[in-house]
Amino acid sequence: MSGFSIVEASGISKVFPNMTSPVLDGVSIEIESGEIIALMGPSGSGKSTLMNILGCLDGPTAGTYLLGGRDVSTLTARERAWVRLHYIGFVFQSFHLIGDHTVLENVTLPLYYAGLDRHEREARAVEVIERVGLGHRLGHRPAQLSGGEKQRVAIARAVSGQPRLLLADEPTGALDTRTGAEVMELLLEMHDARALTLVIVTHDPEIAAYCHRQIFLRDGKVVSEGRGHAAHA
Amino acid sequence: MQRTRSEVVGRAVRTAVRNPGRTILTMLGLAIGVGAFLAMVSFGTGARSSVMEQFEILGTRVVYIWGNMGRRNFGGSARPLTDADVEALLRDSLTIERVVPRITEVRNVKSAFARYPTKVTGTMPDFVHIREWPMLTGGMFDQTDLRQRAKVAVIGTTVARELFGRRDPVGQTITIGSNLPLRIIGVLVAKGEQTTGEDMDDIILIPATTYQAFLGMPTGYHELMLQVRDLSLLQTAMVEAIPIMRRSHRLADIEEDDFRMASPAQAAELARFVSNILTGLLVGIAAVSLLVGGIGVMNIQLVSVAERTQEIGVRSAIGASPSQIMVQFLAEAVVLSLTGSLAGVGLGWLASTLVAEAMSWSGTLSPLTMAGAAAFGTSVGVAFGYLPAKRAAQLEPIDALRHE
Repeated sequence: MSGFSIVEASGISKVFPNMTSPVLDGVSIEIESGEIIALMGPSGSGKSTLMNILGCLDGPTAGTYLLGGRDVSTLTARERAWVRLHYIGFVFQSFHLIGDHTVLENVTLPLYYAGLDRHEREARAVEVIERVGLGHRLGHRPAQLSGGEKQRVAIARAVSGQPRLLLADEPTGALDTRTGAEVMELLLEMHDARALTLVIVTHDPEIAAYCHRQIFLRDGKVVSEGRGHAAHA
Repeated sequence: MQRTRSEVVGRAVRTAVRNPGRTILTMLGLAIGVGAFLAMVSFGTGARSSVMEQFEILGTRVVYIWGNMGRRNFGGSARPLTDADVEALLRDSLTIERVVPRITEVRNVKSAFARYPTKVTGTMPDFVHIREWPMLTGGMFDQTDLRQRAKVAVIGTTVARELFGRRDPVGQTITIGSNLPLRIIGVLVAKGEQTTGEDMDDIILIPATTYQAFLGMPTGYHELMLQVRDLSLLQTAMVEAIPIMRRSHRLADIEEDDFRMASPAQAAELARFVSNILTGLLVGIAAVSLLVGGIGVMNIQLVSVAERTQEIGVRSAIGASPSQIMVQFLAEAVVLSLTGSLAGVGLGWLASTLVAEAMSWSGTLSPLTMAGAAAFGTSVGVAFGYLPAKRAAQLEPIDALRHE
C-alpha cells in the first residue's frame, strides 16, 4: 500500500426526487491507493448509489468527493465522462458487454473513446485479453461465451484503459461458486499486476473475506468498518 | 481527426450491417421518397420537352388560320380561304413574313409498284420553310413550278416506302386518282408521329396551282399558315390578322368571324403551364413522401435508441462523452440516409428510364439532379436523425444502465 488516499469522500449525501429519505446520508469514507475494499450492506442500504458516485456515474447532492486529490463532486456530465474514461473501470454483475461487438471490439472500446489509433488499441486489448485467458476468443460475440468468460471479457475491458480505480458491482453474483472464485482470483491478479484500487460491492462474506477492509452500509450510513482477515493480503 | 471520423463511419456501417432488418426498414422510406421525387421530376421534364418537340414540328413562329366552310355561323355564310386572303395578309400586315395556304385531301395514289391512299396537299414552295422541314433527297418545287402548274410532287418517307419500297423515288412517276401523273422531285426528311398519333410523313406535296387545276378546290384552302417575322410578334400578328381577314371576307360588323386562328406556340405555352402545375403537384407529393421517409428514419432511430439504452449506458460508464454518443447515432443516421437515398436514386432512375422508354421521351435525369436528390434525401434523414441522437446523448448513465 502506497499510503496515499485515492478516495476521500466526506459527508456524501444523495437525495433522489420523489423520495422522502436520502439514499445516502452523510457518508464519509477514505480509501488508500492499492486497497481492496468490500462495500457491503442489505439491499436498499445505498451501496449501489455510493458506488455510482465513487465511479463518477452520478454526482452527490451534498458533500465533497476527492478522487486522487481532485474534487469531482461538482463536475458536468462531460467532465465526469472524462474522469471515468481515464481513472475508473467498471465490472457489472450482468457483464454488460455490447452484444453485436466481438470480444476484441468490446475490450478496445475505452481505448477507442480515448482516441488511440486502431493499431495501438488492438495491440493493448489483445494483450489484456490474453492475460484473462481468452486469446483464442478474440472474434467471438458475447452470446458465444459462457458466463465466466463474459465476466473475464468485462474485466479485460475495465482494465484496458489502465484505470486507477476498479469498481465491481456483485462481479460474481451471476456466476456459480467455482466460476465466481475464478473471476475473483482474476480480479485480485489484476489488482496485483496493475496497482489497482479495487472496490467490490457484494453481500457474499466469502468475497468480502478476500478484501483488506469491509465497509458496511445501512439506511444510507456507514455502520461499521471492519478489517477483515484479508486472506489475500 | 480524419482517422477517427472514418472510424466513426466504419462503426456505423458495421452496426447497419449487423442489424439488416432495422437497416432495410429505415432505408426503405427514404429510398421511396427520393425515388418518387426523381421519377416525378423526370416525368415532368420529359412531358415538357415532349410538348416543346411537338411545338417545333408545327413551326415555331407560325399562326394557323382555318376556314369555317361547312360549319355555317348564323348571321352569314362562311367564305372559303382563297388566294385573295393570302394577298391581303401579305399586303396589309406589318408582322407577317410569309403566308402559305394548304389544302389536303386523302386520295388514292399509285406508282408502278403499288397503290396507297394518302394525304395529298396542295401548297406553296415556302411550306417547307415555315414547317422547318428539310429535304432528304431532291428538292422542293419552286415558284416557276407553281406558275406553270407543273406536274411535280414531293413526298414523305412513309409514302416513299409504301409506293417504292427500297427504291429511290426521285424521278419516278406517281398517279393521283386516275388522271394526274406527277414526277417526284424530292423526299422530305422523316418527322415521325405527332402526339395525336398522326404520321407526319404520310404526305404528298404538290403545287397549289396544280392541285386547283387538276383536282379542283371548290371550297378553297383548308388552312393558311402565317409565319411571323419574330416570335415576340406572335400575339401582335394574331390581333392584326383578324381585321385583315374580316375585310378580305367582307364581313359586316355584326357577323362573327368565319375563320379560326391559333398558334402552336400558344398551345405549347398552355400545355407547358398545365404540365408545370402537374409537375409541381407531383413533386410536392414526392416531397411529402420524402418527409415521411425522414420521419421514418427518426422513428426507427428513436426505437433504436430505446432498444440500445443499456448499451448507451455501458458506453457512457466506460467513458464515452455525450458528444461521442451523439456522433455515433448521427453517423448511423448518415449511413442509413445516404444508403437509402442512393437506393432511391437507383429506383428513380429505373422508373424514369422505363417511362421515358415507353413514352419515347429522351433521357431526362441529369447527374446533377440525381446528386441533388441524394444530397437532399441524406440531409432529410440526418436532420430527422438529430433528435434521436440528441436523446441518446442526454441519457443519464445510471438510468441507462439500469434500463432493461
